[in-house]
Amino acid sequence: MFNLTQAIERWRRKILAGQAIEDGDLAELEGHLRDKIEDLAARGMNEEEAFLRAEAEFARSKDLDADFFRARSRRDGARPSWQRWRWVPPLLASYIKIALRKIRRQKAYALINIAGLSVGLACCAVIILYVTNELSYDTFHPDSRRLYRIATHRINQVGEDRSSTTPGPLGPELLRSYPQIERAVRIVAPYENARHVLVVSGEKRFFENRVWFVDRDISHVFRIPFLQGHPQTSLEKPNAVVITEGTARKYFGGEPPLGQTLQIEIDYDTGTTELQDYEITGVVKDSPANTHFKYDLLLSMPTLLQNVPSFEEDWLEYHTKYTYVKLSPTAEAADFEKQVQRAAAIVYQKYEEARNRKMELFEFFLQPLSRIHMDSRLQEEMEPPGNWYYVYIYSAVALLILLVGCMNFVNLSIALSAARTREVGLRKVVGASRGHLVGQFLGESFLITLLAFCLSFGLVYSLLFPFNRMAGTELSLAGLTQPAVFAALAGLLVAVGLGSGFYPAFVLTAFKPVSILQGRLAPSSRGTLMQTLLVVGQFAISIYLVICTLTVEQQLNFMRGRALGFDLEQKLVLRVKSNLSHLRRDYETIKNSFLQNPAITGATVSSSVPGDPADAGYYLTTRPGDFKNAARLKVITIDYDFIPEFKIKMMAGRAFERGLKNDENGAYLINLAGVKELGFSNPQEALEKSYMSHYHRMTKRIIGVTDDFHYRGMQTVVEPLILDIESSLMDTITLSVRMDSSNDLLGFVRRVWDEHFPGVPFEYSFLDEDFDRQYRYEKQMGSLLGITTTLGLVVACLGLFGMASFIARRREKEIGIRKVLGASAHDIVTMLAGRFVRLICLAAVIASPLALYSMNSWLRDFAYRIHIDAAIFLAAAFGALAIALLTVGLQGFRAAVANPADSLRNE
Amino acid sequence: MIAKAMIAASTKPIILAILKGGENYGYRIIQSVREISGGNLEWSEPMLYPVLRRLERDGLVKSKWKVTENGRFRKYYQLTPLGHEELKNERLQWLTVHVAFCKILDLAAETK
Repeated sequence: MFNLTQAIERWRRKILAGQAIEDGDLAELEGHLRDKIEDLAARGMNEEEAFLRAEAEFARSKDLDADFFRARSRRDGARPSWQRWRWVPPLLASYIKIALRKIRRQKAYALINIAGLSVGLACCAVIILYVTNELSYDTFHPDSRRLYRIATHRINQVGEDRSSTTPGPLGPELLRSYPQIERAVRIVAPYENARHVLVVSGEKRFFENRVWFVDRDISHVFRIPFLQGHPQTSLEKPNAVVITEGTARKYFGGEPPLGQTLQIEIDYDTGTTELQDYEITGVVKDSPANTHFKYDLLLSMPTLLQNVPSFEEDWLEYHTKYTYVKLSPTAEAADFEKQVQRAAAIVYQKYEEARNRKMELFEFFLQPLSRIHMDSRLQEEMEPPGNWYYVYIYSAVALLILLVGCMNFVNLSIALSAARTREVGLRKVVGASRGHLVGQFLGESFLITLLAFCLSFGLVYSLLFPFNRMAGTELSLAGLTQPAVFAALAGLLVAVGLGSGFYPAFVLTAFKPVSILQGRLAPSSRGTLMQTLLVVGQFAISIYLVICTLTVEQQLNFMRGRALGFDLEQKLVLRVKSNLSHLRRDYETIKNSFLQNPAITGATVSSSVPGDPADAGYYLTTRPGDFKNAARLKVITIDYDFIPEFKIKMMAGRAFERGLKNDENGAYLINLAGVKELGFSNPQEALEKSYMSHYHRMTKRIIGVTDDFHYRGMQTVVEPLILDIESSLMDTITLSVRMDSSNDLLGFVRRVWDEHFPGVPFEYSFLDEDFDRQYRYEKQMGSLLGITTTLGLVVACLGLFGMASFIARRREKEIGIRKVLGASAHDIVTMLAGRFVRLICLAAVIASPLALYSMNSWLRDFAYRIHIDAAIFLAAAFGALAIALLTVGLQGFRAAVANPADSLRNE
Repeated sequence: MIAKAMIAASTKPIILAILKGGENYGYRIIQSVREISGGNLEWSEPMLYPVLRRLERDGLVKSKWKVTENGRFRKYYQLTPLGHEELKNERLQWLTVHVAFCKILDLAAETK
């Protein structure tokens, strides 16, 4: 049976294969075909014959395509593009052409779309950089899968710990006795002054804190690119040093550093220190950001061995000594880990020999190098570990912003395509297949996403600097070229492009065109529902972010403002990093020198100031010599002025007093937490009780109890603390000052400093600033949230603005009529805004419980926390409402004051 | 058989002239041409449409879609003022050539 409709379908598809033929042309041609068939049929032919005749007629014109193309082009004699170059996929080209045309016609909306999306994409890109950076630590070393650090786990009479450090002789022992070890290298921090190694070159003197002794084979384990010098021989001889590019520039400017001399002071804890000469035998690239082992100067291991001959024999001391190994390709890590316990046996033996008792437990274990940064939390890590928590949080926030940007995009697309329903309807009717339309919408969305992407790179560039400062990272645009990052971004582009276009492409093209052309211009109700959801969604996310930001800020302020229990205003802190013996012997004299200046009202010397990590501790026992079951308390060694200078409150007994000689040798102070730790039920009970400390083996009695001042900041609960007069740990001078512009206080302090510590660089800080730095992570999060919240709100408002102006335009006529009928500007604005107000309220209702839950979980980590404030929730909701009203109101107002005659004229 | 070049040159003025008589659509234009020329001018049918497109691009005609009684869509064309002008131009041109030919090729007699 001949089916005319089918035949025509087939014919249509054939014609459509031509590329210059647009949908309208096809309709016209089809009409012509049908007319002809009718005609022929009227003259007596049957349908099939008529069709074939008509079709043949068409086939007579060769290259209809080219004709159509020529007809449309502006140049005479133009050749259609597909007859010119063969390599542009023609369908893509035409979609892009159409998309560009659309964009040009609706510049403003396209701009809003792109702007919103760019912001979202930029945030995402930055976070992707951050996350990949964090997860890529130490993966760039060759054979990184065979690289491990050896760590120790031990239990002895003072307690249990796991540490990243190992005994010095372990490295060579592994090389000797274990065939599966290809390389073993040690990294050792300079003994006492690891954080402040004085380095001198002529006039230039600086304290360096990334100085390490390393074995010669270090560059066979870690990737350390040499720019000058030979990796094999640079670290062979004693007193040889390899420096980084940056260090070379710092000390030598542009001069070639190779062969020159640096004077370096290492404190081997022998009582005196002196500068020794080192020859520069190599220059390497600066250590990258994504490694846990960061260095500026590498000293040769033979230097250390010369100065500390016992190094290769000492199995019991592992302070700041690290051992890294590279397993041979065939070795199994688990296997090796079992076998390496044989080396542990040596430790057991030596310990027993030295201490005359058995060590309960000592074992080594392996840590894969690439997991150290994120997962290792042992004692004495080289640097603070990464934090999965913040990786998650930053990722979540970035995704939220992106979501808002995408929602924006879809919303505007829907709005725009609603205006194009007429066009869409016509095209469907005259022959455009649905596939065509879907392709076109997707193409448009993809193109806009691409443009947004390009724009966002500019944004990323400007976002990176503040982000780096905030998060303490060193991200750069170069990171974008890494394969992992590139792949993630490409995936993002596709996902967003297609995802955002999905709804308009598939849902909106699925309506009946006839009703459109018959004049019923109503957009599909599906579109409206989606738009509503999107507006609510965008604002819900924004409100959620606002609440979280405000709460975090509140908590931060609380932590800073809460009574810390000591005075930290106007305290100038001088840390003595060199020539400590002078400080510890003559600190009273030194203090007096400073007190000569009337602007300095007080001075005290201690082992740490409030805010410092305060890791030092005493084991206290009531039974002299027997430290089993000893209590462990943190300790700060102080002088007589510490308590009054920091205005620490005494709860029982008294503070140290000058003149009472016994105070120095026979007295402790403890805090309230210490009272509990030692098993007393109230401070009075603790007074006059005597304890021996493992540190100096002296027995002293408790003469006073202080309040629990927050010597470590607000995040941790106050731990039990002893205050002791003990000079051997002192290293910090704190001056109470009265800073004002008239006195040259710093100059004076510097002069006194130079008198007592000649040649040592003068560095100072203010205690309140130091303390603030404690909340680095929280402040980071506060800033990050602040920025992203603002961005999120901006994007949401952009979207709202676009939508509102769009709707206002569409209802121009309606508004015009209402005005003519007597509506005031106020009425119009209310009408437009009313709907939005309800949506925002809904958004607030959705966002609030989510925010409540999130903030509760976050606050749980803090020892001292605020109560979540209901006022914040209300403020956020009203704020969003106000902003939304402003945005919509502006549009409404514009519509309201427009001359109704203008809008009605187009009837 | 009329030469291709001649057909090409004559298409434009013929279409304009037909449209002068009122609004018209593709298929009917072709039929009219066939009738008026007594079957001598048989245009390749689809060829008409690119020409119409071009005329529209040049602003000589404008088009409008209409719905027919049996629900089909049809594109109607009509002359613009510019088109009227152009028609006058073309008519003049053809007349000039015709007069020259009349004299040279001795056409006068057959065109009566």
